[in-house]
Amino acid sequence: MKQLQNKVAELFDNGTISLMIGFQNALNKQPVPCFITVASQVERLIYTPECKGNLAVYLHKIEVKQAKKVGIIGNVATLRSLIQLTSENQLGDIEKTVITVNAQNEVIIFANMDEVEAYVQANFPEYTDEDKKLLEQLNAMSRAERWQYWSEQFSVCVKCYACRAVCPMCYCPSCTVESNQPQWIKVSSETTGNLEWHTMRAMHLAGRCINCGECGRICPVGIPVHLLTAQMNKDIEAEFGAKTGFSCKSGYALNTFKPGDKEQFIK
Amino acid sequence: MEIKNIKSTNIPAFFDQLIKSGKVVVAPVLKKSGKVFFEAVQSYSQVATDYIQTGFSAKSVVFPKVEELFSYVKNDDGIEITNNLQSIPETIVWGLRPCDASAFNYLTEFFLKENPDTYFAARKEKTTLITVSCAKADDACFCTSVGLNPGSTAGSDILLTIMGEEVYMEVMTEKGKTAVETSATLFTVSEEKNKEEFLAKITTVFSIDEVKERIKTAYDSTEWKHESMGCFGCGACAFACPTCTCFDIQDEGTQNKGVRLRCWDACGFGLFTKHNSGHNPRTNQTERRRQRLLHKFKYSVENLGIVSCVGCGRCIRVCPAHLNIFKNILSVTTESKGVNE
Amino acid sequence: MEQPKNQYIPYKMRIANIVEEAPLVQTYRLEFVDKKDAAQFSFKAGQFAEYGVFGEGESTFCIASAPTREGYVECTFRSSGRVTKALANCELNDIIGLRGPFGNTFPIEEWHGKNIVFVTGGIGLPPLRCVIWNLLDQRDKFGEISIYYGARTVNDLVYKEELEEWKNRGDVKLFVTVDPGGETPEWKGLVGFVPTILEQNPPKSENSIAIVAGPPILIKMGMPILGKNGFENKNIYTTLENRMKCGVGKCGHCTVGKTYVCKDGPVFSYDEVLNMPPEY
Repeated sequence: MKQLQNKVAELFDNGTISLMIGFQNALNKQPVPCFITVASQVERLIYTPECKGNLAVYLHKIEVKQAKKVGIIGNVATLRSLIQLTSENQLGDIEKTVITVNAQNEVIIFANMDEVEAYVQANFPEYTDEDKKLLEQLNAMSRAERWQYWSEQFSVCVKCYACRAVCPMCYCPSCTVESNQPQWIKVSSETTGNLEWHTMRAMHLAGRCINCGECGRICPVGIPVHLLTAQMNKDIEAEFGAKTGFSCKSGYALNTFKPGDKEQFIK
Repeated sequence: MEIKNIKSTNIPAFFDQLIKSGKVVVAPVLKKSGKVFFEAVQSYSQVATDYIQTGFSAKSVVFPKVEELFSYVKNDDGIEITNNLQSIPETIVWGLRPCDASAFNYLTEFFLKENPDTYFAARKEKTTLITVSCAKADDACFCTSVGLNPGSTAGSDILLTIMGEEVYMEVMTEKGKTAVETSATLFTVSEEKNKEEFLAKITTVFSIDEVKERIKTAYDSTEWKHESMGCFGCGACAFACPTCTCFDIQDEGTQNKGVRLRCWDACGFGLFTKHNSGHNPRTNQTERRRQRLLHKFKYSVENLGIVSCVGCGRCIRVCPAHLNIFKNILSVTTESKGVNE
Repeated sequence: MEQPKNQYIPYKMRIANIVEEAPLVQTYRLEFVDKKDAAQFSFKAGQFAEYGVFGEGESTFCIASAPTREGYVECTFRSSGRVTKALANCELNDIIGLRGPFGNTFPIEEWHGKNIVFVTGGIGLPPLRCVIWNLLDQRDKFGEISIYYGARTVNDLVYKEELEEWKNRGDVKLFVTVDPGGETPEWKGLVGFVPTILEQNPPKSENSIAIVAGPPILIKMGMPILGKNGFENKNIYTTLENRMKCGVGKCGHCTVGKTYVCKDGPVFSYDEVLNMPPEY
């Protein structure tokens, strides 16, 4: 902890950052995000296995963009978010300093996004065992069974939009659900409408989601929504050979055409 | 008030009699996700017993997440409007906690004191609350900081406290008596007992009287920004909260036939206060989160004389950023620690 | 327990007359479909209603006709969102819903014998038109009545015929203006922003009440000018317009601090406004 705090203090002192996004203790011992603006606040910073959350989502906040020089800490999932957001040209107005703590507990401050890329590619995560098992179960179901499964799950969705809120890739200033001319997605919570919302969101995230799993972790009614995009990403990797959050230059599989693509219809 | 006793082993029989009475019985059920939620059940075997708190409150019994205000249909005579207030069933809520029962008192004041709400009134009239006191708590619970305690009877029709082999029953109201009458033979009269040793010990984090006083001048505290920057602006806390009552009104259908609904809404959403002109009185998330906390600890006191937070801790448990309401309240009501902007 | 009155079931109203006031702005005259409803409906100046198109939703506007006129209710609105566009698409004799009246009222009885000054712009005039006609229907109870009203262009002025009527009455001081650049060659009225015109023709503050209504910018600029000319905050009134849904102080959308604009307002004195957090 001390090592991290000292290094961040240095970054403030030499003017590299004016805002650090990290984690701090809250009174009930579940760490919460923290936003510190001066070196004297670094004692708040912690980084433990209890620190849950993908802090990359905060880079879209207007207050963070206004700070311009921003330090951010995270695990490989967060780093993948940063890479994916960079490839989508979303972080151009922030001079970011990216920090992680590796398996040997060493604090690494990346010099640039190339280094972040190299680190991520060397430590590219697999799906968790639990997710692998669930995906297998779902894939083993018939289409009707799968429809039944998700209908039951989404019947209890309350449309709190926590899944959207916590996702670093959901950054549209005006979300489709906020339109009422026309009303694409209804406001009230009921099974079919909820299915529409989640399916639409999964489509918008296919080939962009970096599988941090936050949406499923934080769903207040326990729906494993992250499995929808997890499966879509597997499909896209199989069809397009594209991994998300892998390279800052990767682009978006569903809107990128390369002359070498196997499909012939466009020729 | 009547005090009774029932053997723990007879609780399932009591419960099943409530089911047989024909009322809808809503109780905590353990879901596959590991979380516990209130659902209508058919037998005691479905009821979860070993948990600290449900994910969402029981407020949906009197304030459902979607309520049909009325349905309409155009015909030759004009438009026919019908509502189904008549078909609301008698409902028993089993297994809520003392904090939740107290929340029903707030909901009643809020919905009925001024401009009484027909829908809430109809549902509350038909609802019986059978509360189970808390033997355990976690570090998100803070009911003792808001003037409640894990054995409080406030708001309950019956409060059950498990004392080993026996369950101590405080029957507080006529509705409670009606529920007891379904299986009168299972109960014996009891003398008053001390519940203390069977209740969870909950740390008090602040004095509510101090908070009520200091929060009067907390609007401009610089701590709001520090505590609320992590807020995502979703509706999880408001939806889980037993006393949040904000709602949206939405029409669904066509101009010829459809329904008008009211659905849960949250002041944390960015569009909650936005005018059609584009002007938004609360422009950033810090302001919106401040609104929610000030409403709980200041505005509901000014309007109804009650702090509307009951210390159930649900907002802390469901928050995707794990933001902590009592930490935030403490920060803004304590002298600024001289933290720079 | 006796069922309280259901605040969410609307009255059925027939569109009896449509006036095109300005581009995208219309006035609807609404009559009750059920005569029983008409008999027991009454409201006071300042109150508003929720006007609904079944299937689209409801929108909040003041009741723009005077309470002294019985049998009908009028509203003036600009077509800008889903519900107002649907309303604008309605035709004569269509049935829409009305819930209300909601809110508090201008304390007109307290103003007997005083001079009344209205400062407003664009479609800020409809909420005040109700008060204006209410006063004019009992003209001898009040002192000088002055109206400062402006719009971006000549075309955007609402109640054009009534403005002429008020001008020609002889017992109303009328200052009608358009923003610089908004005048037409035929325009014979004033040119200049409303606050400027107000400053150039200051109303007397002694024994006077001022009512300012309109976009936040007009309120922010108009209030200090009145203050400079001797108006005390407690004698300046405004009507706030926050986003509303239920109209009865439950849904939470319109709160400013502890105040519900729908239930405790929308009419507030400037004193009261200054005591609220700046969330309107």
